[in-house]
Amino acid sequence: MRTNYRVNAGVRFEVFSRDQLEELFNGVLHVMDKIGLDVHHEEARNILADAGAHVEDKRVRIPTHLVKRALATAPRSFTIYARDGNPAHDIQIGPGRAHFGPGPTPPNFIDVETLERRPYVRDDARIVATVVDALPNIDFCESLGTISDVPTDLAAAYEFATMFPRTTKPIVAWSFGWDDSNDIHQIAITEAGGQEAFERRPNYIHYCEPLSPLVSTFEAVDKVIFAARHAVPVIFTTCALAGGTAPVTPAGIIIQTTAESFMGLVLSQIIRPGLPFFTGGVLSVMDMSAMILSYGAPELSLMMAGVTELAHYCGLPLWQTGGCTDSKCLDEQASLEGSLSVFFSALSGGDLCHDVGYTESGMTGSILQTVMMDDAIGYSRRITRGIEVTPDTLAVDVIRDVGPDGHYLYHDHTMQHFKTEFWYPNLCDRHNYEEWAAEGKQTMRARVIDRTREILATHNPSPVRPETAEAITAIMAAAENRVKNKP
Amino acid sequence: MSEILKRMSSAVIQGQRDDTRQMARDAIEGGCSAEEVLYQGLMPGMDHVSGEFKAGRMFVPEVMRSARAMLNAMEVIKPIMVKNGIRMAGKVVLGTVQGDLHDIGKNLVGMMCEGAGFEIHDLGADVAPGQFVEAVKAFQPDIVGMSALLTTTMRAMEGTVQALVEAGVRDRVKVMIGGAPVTQAFADRIGVDGYAPDAAAAADKAKHLIAASR
Amino acid sequence: MSQTLEQITTGVIEGNIQGIRQLIQKALEEGLKAEEILQNGLIVGMNEVGKRFKVAQMFIPEVLRAAKTMHAGQELLHPLVTDARAVRVGTIVIGTVQGDMHDIGKNLVGMMCEGAGFEVIDLGFDLSPETFTEAIKVHQPDIVGMSALLTTTMRSMGHTLKAITEAGLREKVKVMVGGAPVDAEFAARIGADGYGHNAVVGAELARKLVEAA
Repeated sequence: MRTNYRVNAGVRFEVFSRDQLEELFNGVLHVMDKIGLDVHHEEARNILADAGAHVEDKRVRIPTHLVKRALATAPRSFTIYARDGNPAHDIQIGPGRAHFGPGPTPPNFIDVETLERRPYVRDDARIVATVVDALPNIDFCESLGTISDVPTDLAAAYEFATMFPRTTKPIVAWSFGWDDSNDIHQIAITEAGGQEAFERRPNYIHYCEPLSPLVSTFEAVDKVIFAARHAVPVIFTTCALAGGTAPVTPAGIIIQTTAESFMGLVLSQIIRPGLPFFTGGVLSVMDMSAMILSYGAPELSLMMAGVTELAHYCGLPLWQTGGCTDSKCLDEQASLEGSLSVFFSALSGGDLCHDVGYTESGMTGSILQTVMMDDAIGYSRRITRGIEVTPDTLAVDVIRDVGPDGHYLYHDHTMQHFKTEFWYPNLCDRHNYEEWAAEGKQTMRARVIDRTREILATHNPSPVRPETAEAITAIMAAAENRVKNKP
Repeated sequence: MSEILKRMSSAVIQGQRDDTRQMARDAIEGGCSAEEVLYQGLMPGMDHVSGEFKAGRMFVPEVMRSARAMLNAMEVIKPIMVKNGIRMAGKVVLGTVQGDLHDIGKNLVGMMCEGAGFEIHDLGADVAPGQFVEAVKAFQPDIVGMSALLTTTMRAMEGTVQALVEAGVRDRVKVMIGGAPVTQAFADRIGVDGYAPDAAAAADKAKHLIAASR
Repeated sequence: MSQTLEQITTGVIEGNIQGIRQLIQKALEEGLKAEEILQNGLIVGMNEVGKRFKVAQMFIPEVLRAAKTMHAGQELLHPLVTDARAVRVGTIVIGTVQGDMHDIGKNLVGMMCEGAGFEVIDLGFDLSPETFTEAIKVHQPDIVGMSALLTTTMRSMGHTLKAITEAGLREKVKVMVGGAPVDAEFAARIGADGYGHNAVVGAELARKLVEAA
């Protein structure tokens, strides 16, 4: 019998010691308490002041005890539910569970038919949601673009209204402010069966983005207040540029961005203690030559691993980044940068890894990139699952059974394990040369394009309830009127 | 009657090796001919397996298990077929060539060919040209299959073909080769009748060679 | 050529803000004219910086420091030159448009334009169209530069241009736009005079627009 048997905690990428994590956490507390952040929202400042924050004009300083109270009430583990009750599409947030999905709001999209870059349109949201619903390793949905062919104020609401019926995987929604946040929420709670039912089984997450350095913008704060009042799980994350809007050093940017997220954490937990909250953010380098935020830099994966570790040290889930590239098309660079960032994201165990499908440094969304990355995620997940060591997997008896000069193909042990121990790619080709040549010598790029088109031609996501379909029509009609009558 | 043959097909597909033997006995007792059992029960199942394997929906260990299920049933019907003078799909002599001890590929081909209804004489690994010649004389096969994993042992295939020619038995058999470094171009160069890139393709190739020669 | 001028050129390239004033003082004491110091010292240095940036031998933080050094030198020479336009090539009003608080890109353009010899009036961020029209009336700039980081705030650039036209000021200024989601096609569609895909190009474009006017 095994006693005091020690098991490896998992295949992980860890960059800090416990001492270093304590130093970083102290840095965050110092920034919040001694430097403070500008909060451009009067009501939020009042809420924070009433709870014990120091407010001077726009500057808000949060004493350590408030941060610690918020960390105590925010949950580490919770579930976001598939709208149709399909447990395979639920997202269970908790230790050692990394989930993947696309990202929000690039202006351009790679057309699935012409393969050219063009402005993102409403039908692209249908395409992205349908493909995301079908991909085995993509867990949540975002649109990969800002819809350009509807009234601008309704771009986010139309995006949600278009995606929601076409995927049962939870959506991470963004919005401009209170009104369209409400449009989105009404759609979601209609499907859930009302506000109370939604609170038991939340079916989407809301995304808010404040500004670096150290500014909580009105819109970002307004959206957190909306989310907290309506019990919507929320992400509050900056997109900081090392050397531009944040310190150039990884440790420095991790402290700053965590402090920026924690302003949202404290506010959300004051309004609704226990609200599921994801800390951020998107950390990368400002390329000092190209002047872009690099989505393919190794520092992105390194900094994201660091900020993930700090979040987990603090007992919070993290909004990760990966599967993205600075490349302009589906090429070797896109594959290299995307796959490596997916791999390190999986190794660091960030809870929701987004931007799978970002290309051109976040300027262009590409569902083709997402489809290619689906294989990279499967690959990474096989590795992070690690090696199970039990009397059965050690297989000494099986080795004795087969002996020298035998083979394992017939053995029950092979039969029992080959499907779970081996991962099979959907896109990476393992045929022999003749078969590959007979199929027309297809490249990875061609297979990705074919698979994407095949999914679009054949996949039928589970529909929303009839009342939700009606509600979507009514909510969007009312939203159109609201925008038309706006001065 | 067709009910039991259908169940036999699905037992082959699912690799229920113990069931197929009993099913074959039941079928014969129930009045089926051995040929019906083979061509309407076992072979349709194995054809399905082969198709699923090519489509990537079944995997080697599962195909092996199906082939074994078929063989178990074959043990029941083979003596009857022999007694009635019914020919099998054909006879294959198999071996890994001289200097090469790798035989998992050759074993796979053997099992796939058995699944396709062939009678197999497996000579093992490190088989000298003379042993191939002797086996051709002794077993009178339709096909000789040679395997090699190494570029360094591939040459032995050419030597074996020459030995068959010199012994005057080359015209009596079709020769097939396979193994990781082997290509169609190599097969053409050394003058053999067929080449297959994997075990499933090898069984198909064997069937084609027989069909073409009959 | 004077050793001091060479030192001034090097001072700009190295971004030696403290040293540049002393070097210019020394050059003046040696009897060099302000125009010579500018043309053969500072501008030579800044041109070299531009070249090195384009081949990735210099990076943004170094370029900005050089621009700041250049600007410090220009300020010192400004009262001494006979043709003020030799030093001050023009005036530019810049700002991030309404609804957008991202200003690092706009700040970069401002610093690069200062380095290129512009007087830069930075209005800040989240600016209403009226703030831009008022600034044009007050500062009489040659160029107005607008920045936006978000796809959702880009449209404010169109609104601002419309306001400038309605206020009867469109003929008086050139309008430049920039920011991550902005491209040349968008600039043309809203009727701007130019688009720069980064701060260095933005400053070069500003010079071209002034020279063409």
